[in-house]
Amino acid sequence: MERRSLAVLAKAGAVLCAMVGVSLAPDALQTWLLAAPAFGQLLYQRKLRLALSFGACYLLLSLLLYGIRFHGLRMVIFSEFYVLMFFSLMPVFVTAWDLISTPPGELSAALSQIHAPTPVILGMLVVFRFFPTMKAELRGVHQSMKNRRLTGPAQVLCHPAVTCEYVLVPLLLRCLQIADQLSVSAVARGAQAPGARGSYAATGIRAKDLAWLGIWAAATALFLGMGGPA
Amino acid sequence: METTNKWSVRDVITLVLMTVLLIVMQLGVNMICMVNHFVSMVLSVGITMLLCGPVYFLMVNRIRKRFVSLVYMTLLGVAFLLMGSWFLLPWFVLVGVIAEAILWKGITPGRLTAAWTVSSLLYNGVNLLPIWFFWDTYSEFALASGMEQSYIDSYVRYYSSPGWVAFILVFATACGFLGSLIGQKLIGKHFKKAGVL
Repeated sequence: MERRSLAVLAKAGAVLCAMVGVSLAPDALQTWLLAAPAFGQLLYQRKLRLALSFGACYLLLSLLLYGIRFHGLRMVIFSEFYVLMFFSLMPVFVTAWDLISTPPGELSAALSQIHAPTPVILGMLVVFRFFPTMKAELRGVHQSMKNRRLTGPAQVLCHPAVTCEYVLVPLLLRCLQIADQLSVSAVARGAQAPGARGSYAATGIRAKDLAWLGIWAAATALFLGMGGPA
Repeated sequence: METTNKWSVRDVITLVLMTVLLIVMQLGVNMICMVNHFVSMVLSVGITMLLCGPVYFLMVNRIRKRFVSLVYMTLLGVAFLLMGSWFLLPWFVLVGVIAEAILWKGITPGRLTAAWTVSSLLYNGVNLLPIWFFWDTYSEFALASGMEQSYIDSYVRYYSSPGWVAFILVFATACGFLGSLIGQKLIGKHFKKAGVL
């Protein structure tokens, strides 16, 4: 199924609106009003798998919150504080993930168009690629430790400091190697070259982008207007 | 210190990568520590600074330029801003400025240890600032989230009793110092040998 991707500017506008709305929310429980356009944006772009993942997560948080507030549910390893925080931040997470999962070429072209400095462009791209990269690296470290029988509960509980070292040192070494590889790649692709960067995939602002910007502006204004900023 | 050298692409990427790793570690440890009130309120800052010390040491030693600590602390403040604690952004900028002042004359293991130890002490602002200056906002959110009154009572007890506050500050500072020593040791034992520094 063909996706109907929005422009980076429209996605960034959605993140900004979600952040402003959540930050000034008069009632954290009412932030579902901002979650609705966030999920709508994913569905419009036909990012069904992403919408399903975030939807399941949001449903779980809602159920936990309901249990905590009305049935005295107590969390064991995850504080009630974080349940409400993640619930209220869900519009920001959804819109931010939509932005983060944009191809790097489109992101850098969009940032370059608004004359963002090169360190900012590089920094943003690194931040956006951090989580998938680290996930893969942690999996590698875990597999490597497992092969050496270092992941058993007895080993971890009896030698916590050594276990930390086994995780931290290879992870940090990989981080430094990744930083080197990324910098070589960035320089090779002209990160230090003067002038605006472009992308074959980059597209300008279209009517649908303006429409979504309008939807977000209206939703945020309506949300804040209902209860007034906190 | 290479004060005259411009920041290279590698420096920027290393700084951002390590900073994000530090922030994820700090928030992750904080979340895990919430399993118990005592661990969360008394020990979590110390544990965080102990674990993050080696990463900070590696980051500063690798880049060896001015403003590394300031940028890291500012981005940490931005992370807290995104989570609703806006007052922690100026606080962490201030912590970054203090760390930079300590490192201004050059990066030596001693100064780096001092910078991280002081940062560890000041990191307690995450818990102390809400109760000192923003108690109403914090308690409203905590109650709205459905937290037990016992949690809020524990919070008040630990952070308003001079004895507990002194213990928390000393513990966090000591852990920060220990984290620095571990960082120095790990750098000598692994990273210098691997040729990445």
